[in-house]
Amino acid sequence: MSTIELTGVTKHFGGFTAVKNVSLAVSAGEVVCLLGPSGCGKTTTLRIIAGLERASAGDVVIAGKRMNDLRPDQRDIAMVFQFYALYPALTVRENIMFPLHVEGLDAQTGADRVARVARMLQLEPVLDRLPNHISEGEKQRVAVARAVVRDPNCFLFDEPLSRLDVELRQTMRGQIKSVLTGLSKATVIVTHDQLEALTMADRIAIMRDGVIEQIASPHEVFARPTTLFVASFIGTPQMNLLTAQFDGVEGAHGRFTVDGQPIRLAVDPAVKRLAKGQVTIGIRPRAFIPDGAGGADTIAGRAELIEPMGAETLIHARTPLGSDLRVVVPREIKVKSGDALSLRTDARETHVFDGSGMAVRA
Amino acid sequence: MTTTTDIPQSVPFFQRVIALRWDNWQGALIVFVIGMALAIASLPPQVSFWASSALAALFAVTLIANAWGKYIGGLLVTPALTLLFLMNVFPLVWSFGLSFFSYKANRARAPTWVGLDNYAKVLGDPDVWDRLHNTIILVIMTVSLQMVVGFLLALLFSKQFPLRRYLLILVLTPMMLSFVAVGAFFRYYYDPTFGLLSQAVRVFTGQPFILMNTVWGSRIGIVFADAWMWSPFVMLLVLAGLVSVPKYLYEAAAIDRVSGWRQFWSITFPYIRGLMLLALLFRTIEAFKLFDLVFLLTNGGPGTATETIALRVYRIAFENNKTSESTALAYILLFTVIVLTNLYLYFANRRAREAPAS
Amino acid sequence: MTDMTANAVGSARPARAPLTRRLRFGSSASGVGHAGWGRTVGAAIVSLIYFFPVFWIILTAFKTYEDALAVPAKFFFTPTLENFAQVFSRAYSAGGPTVNTGFTLYFFNSLFISGVSVLLALAIGTLAAFGFSRYPLKGNDTYLFMILTTRMLPAIVVIIPIFIMFRVTGLAGTYLGIIALYTVFNLPFAIWMMKSFFDELSPDVEDAARIDGSSDVRVFFKICLPQVLAGLAATAVFGLILTWNEFLFALLLSGVETRTVPVAMSQTIGGDIGVRWGLLAAIETLFLIPVIIVTFALQNQLLRGVTFGTIKR
Repeated sequence: MSTIELTGVTKHFGGFTAVKNVSLAVSAGEVVCLLGPSGCGKTTTLRIIAGLERASAGDVVIAGKRMNDLRPDQRDIAMVFQFYALYPALTVRENIMFPLHVEGLDAQTGADRVARVARMLQLEPVLDRLPNHISEGEKQRVAVARAVVRDPNCFLFDEPLSRLDVELRQTMRGQIKSVLTGLSKATVIVTHDQLEALTMADRIAIMRDGVIEQIASPHEVFARPTTLFVASFIGTPQMNLLTAQFDGVEGAHGRFTVDGQPIRLAVDPAVKRLAKGQVTIGIRPRAFIPDGAGGADTIAGRAELIEPMGAETLIHARTPLGSDLRVVVPREIKVKSGDALSLRTDARETHVFDGSGMAVRA
Repeated sequence: MTTTTDIPQSVPFFQRVIALRWDNWQGALIVFVIGMALAIASLPPQVSFWASSALAALFAVTLIANAWGKYIGGLLVTPALTLLFLMNVFPLVWSFGLSFFSYKANRARAPTWVGLDNYAKVLGDPDVWDRLHNTIILVIMTVSLQMVVGFLLALLFSKQFPLRRYLLILVLTPMMLSFVAVGAFFRYYYDPTFGLLSQAVRVFTGQPFILMNTVWGSRIGIVFADAWMWSPFVMLLVLAGLVSVPKYLYEAAAIDRVSGWRQFWSITFPYIRGLMLLALLFRTIEAFKLFDLVFLLTNGGPGTATETIALRVYRIAFENNKTSESTALAYILLFTVIVLTNLYLYFANRRAREAPAS
Repeated sequence: MTDMTANAVGSARPARAPLTRRLRFGSSASGVGHAGWGRTVGAAIVSLIYFFPVFWIILTAFKTYEDALAVPAKFFFTPTLENFAQVFSRAYSAGGPTVNTGFTLYFFNSLFISGVSVLLALAIGTLAAFGFSRYPLKGNDTYLFMILTTRMLPAIVVIIPIFIMFRVTGLAGTYLGIIALYTVFNLPFAIWMMKSFFDELSPDVEDAARIDGSSDVRVFFKICLPQVLAGLAATAVFGLILTWNEFLFALLLSGVETRTVPVAMSQTIGGDIGVRWGLLAAIETLFLIPVIIVTFALQNQLLRGVTFGTIKR
């Protein structure tokens, strides 16, 4: 079975701990994205799975076998590198064929496999060219082809799309996803781009400072982030985070003081178990409903900068006490710079985070 | 004489050449060559030298004037080109001219034209072919040894390890010794009585070991000393190549489960191929010019077994005082070197198209 | 090549700031891999064996005449400094007066001649390389090819005309003559190496400086030069080694006052009472020191310089 299991994996580099007690299970055919900012340990984790780094503690189990002490060539894994790592002196065809040498296939079988993969990734026109004579997108596809031509235990991708321009990324996202779907292998993709993660992954593991903060489906991490960091990392424009004083609940509403203004906001039922004190309220830009009426359950603000985005409009607003707000409304709602806004929210879209940054949720 | 505008290309060649302009370097070149030939033929060497120099200077000035239109570039490049011209090109051309004359430096007689006689004499001299034979044997032996040893040393130093800096310096020291010291001390090492080599062999055979009195012995002696001195040079070049291979290529190869041997041929070798060819070229050319070490170690001996072509030229010029004959021979040597260089450049250019992009 | 797994079965690396960046790129970027003390031992054995002939020379410098010729060879002996003293003043014949050998002058000559010619070659060559690189002339390729081939010249081809030239112009035996010659020796290499360095520089920084009002001269000195230090170092070291040990031309063209150490050394061998190995070794040991110092000091730059100068053709 093509699976990956990391249990309590930790990696120290001298006095610095890059990966802290990471546990992860990837099942056959599942695509898990390691997502996070630079330096969060996602690449190190990937390299530990590959065998290019050795875990200081914890277990690495691939396809049911403990692989801690095995070298990369003994693990039967395929990896697509951030810099592609195409062999410069070999043609595209030879590059793709390279990992097959050790399998001892006869020439015909090998050639057939290469041809099949080349067709799948539209590399037929460049098969006899050298890597420095093909485009960036083609290089990326060759790197993928080299991985896919094998039958490895799992696939590992290190920032596969980071060097492509925006258009190409879109095309390649879809292409990689469709290639992977047919193959039923455990796949781990490392990326810092949330859009990539949201579109390609079955589950996303968001990492910060060597720790996985949340691992869940793309929808989960978007709609129900478990920590402040995840909430602010996922979603563009970024979620609005407001510090507030929590004052207890009234039915389905919580009483908060935000920015000096007392506000009643519809919240998740679990909030009533929260102790009074300082909290952070997170509201996504699209969760605001401008309500001309004002009232106790709205947040007041003044629009400062209007950015038309086509079907939607992004409004940069500011509360009376100076906090920034980002509001996204459908373009039918016309707002001008300087307009006063009263913003209502939806309970399902209002997240409350306690003093330690954990989400308060049922 | 104006320099503000170039002569348009449409003006016929002949007219361009005789135009009285400062940047008419083609005209100046013709004047220089003809004038120098006349001067050498008719004037005693001291005077012909100065006459030729004057004409050369004129030629150089026109070259500079030609480049002056490009202003900064010409200005920057001029001092270097002038020096090179004075000390390299000019003597070369002058001696090339001289090789067609009969001239002996220790006689005050003016040179007489002999055309290709010197060349014929040199090419027909069996001694010369014998020396060429010597030289080629020495070149093949020493260059092969240097390439192998240099390559192995480079492999050794291709990774970072503790104390690497200091050990590297140790290995580079042979290059830094003067030829005199190396020549003298290797004679000392090879000495049958108190040389280290003989003493080491004596431990096994009980007999003193005489290396330098046989033809092949002395050849090996020279080759060993020369290769010892210059293998570090090859090492430096190959090391530069080894170090430039991106590490992630080896990581990818490990993941692709590629064997070490194949890794070397497909990944490492393309990176060092160009540099090895370069090392090969440099060392081969230097080996052809082998003089200092042979002069000091064996002085061509035993007999003339290890006399190289360069040494022969020296002998003819300074011991037999057949100055112009020696220049003829020297030119043949130069010609060989140029042919080799061009061969190398041909191969290198072909490879450059296939070389790995950085 | 299998040594790269030393990383996977890794040793802890000492923490160095900025660590996160190093972790991100250090593992995959190019550069030397790491090996441990095992390789040090192997390399030490090889290096020491390779160094042995040099070591023996240095050792001999401290031996008395008898010790130097001892059979079997002596590794342990009472060292003496008399050879080093005798480098500078000794008796030329047994029982004769102790005379200053003039080696102080010869050492100075070598230092002076090599130093000046290398500096000149660097200065002139760098300017020329800059010109070739930034302001390509019509015949650029031809000039460069010519320059490259002068490097290939067998010395004996030019020795005769230069010898005559020097005699005729009175340059024989002067500092000017030999320095000019050595400068010309070093020029092709200097130009070639510095040009490939200048070719590598991105013009963006220079353009930015020009827009900010710097003159071309300032751009050259403050912006271009600092980036090509590795090339300067490599050229300096190779040039120094070349001229320091040069023999043939020095033999024929230097005079009594301007004699360099290699020539003086060869005369020490010729004359005197047999070959005084200890003395010769002492001379060479002293002669070796400046070169080693320079090479060691510029070591890092040297390797980078060799890389750049030769990889990009």
